Amino acid sequence: MKGFYFAVLCSLLVTGLRAQDKYITKEGYVSFFSHSIVEDIKADNDQVLSIMDTSSGEIAIQLLMRSFMFEKALMQEHFNENYVESYKYPKATFSGEIMNLGEIDDQNTETEIVGVLKLHGEEKEISTIVNIQKTSNEIVLTGDFKVDVADFNIKIPSIVANNIAKTIKVSFKLHHKPYSQ
Amino acid sequence: MLGGPRGLEQLKKYKLKGNSFKIIALFFLAVVLGLLVSVYYYNKPHVDVEKSEAAYVLTAQSLIDEYQKDEAVTDKKYSEHVILVKGNILEISTLKGNGVITLNDGDPESSIICHMLPSQNAKTLTLKKGQSINIKGICTGYLLDVIMVRCTIVE
Repeated sequence: MKGFYFAVLCSLLVTGLRAQDKYITKEGYVSFFSHSIVEDIKADNDQVLSIMDTSSGEIAIQLLMRSFMFEKALMQEHFNENYVESYKYPKATFSGEIMNLGEIDDQNTETEIVGVLKLHGEEKEISTIVNIQKTSNEIVLTGDFKVDVADFNIKIPSIVANNIAKTIKVSFKLHHKPYSQ
Repeated sequence: MLGGPRGLEQLKKYKLKGNSFKIIALFFLAVVLGLLVSVYYYNKPHVDVEKSEAAYVLTAQSLIDEYQKDEAVTDKKYSEHVILVKGNILEISTLKGNGVITLNDGDPESSIICHMLPSQNAKTLTLKKGQSINIKGICTGYLLDVIMVRCTIVE
């Protein structure tokens, strides 16, 4: 699967034949939100890499787990050291396809995005609605989806089980610009 | 007032009361202290990059070279650490009101993307492309470029 992901990323990067179809951002935004009776936890990542191909609809997203910024330093520490084990799994990746990308215009801005999210060494198929805003030099993808903590083999100690939601909401906003070498 | 056997008895009673009061007071003190410590720990501040000593000092290109040679080993060495990187400014931009400085010493593929702290905005405005600069920040890893966050400019 790792090989497949790299193949997608490489094919998106290297095939210079139709470079005008490639769009990229290195400052994409991904956040997650956990709501529980005890506390709300939010973390933001403004350094997300995303590359998309407008002719095939393929998209490859990569982010660093350590780039998630929490309000509380202690939460950030626990997140990286104990829950997602960033020293072992420093990145999360998503590779997939935006369906019917060619039919997107000013009126019709919603479509489906399907792909595989890899996090903490575990893979899970994700399918969600994505809102697409196309302008002359930008393609903005916005959306959110929910993931179950249990699906990614993330162990939450029982003492804080009530502080962290079983289902986490992930939001994204990716401002892609035309790719130029 | 405490003369006579009756007074002595009263004194004993008081003493007993005094002891249990002390125990209760100590118990409460321990609880309050425990609470204070856990509140402090819970609210412990983020690493102050400006005041922190850099764990590693190196040039932009040598950091990129190390990542390109062996990403896993290099990531374990630098990520999460405060590092000081010297390099040439390729680009200066802003993201959500904060400066983003890209360092590149000529590598065609990778740069170092430094996301600056809000406190650095005024200084960032005075910088020019091509200028050599020292940036201290926390390394979070490598995607197509090395990413650094909470960065400050070091004179």
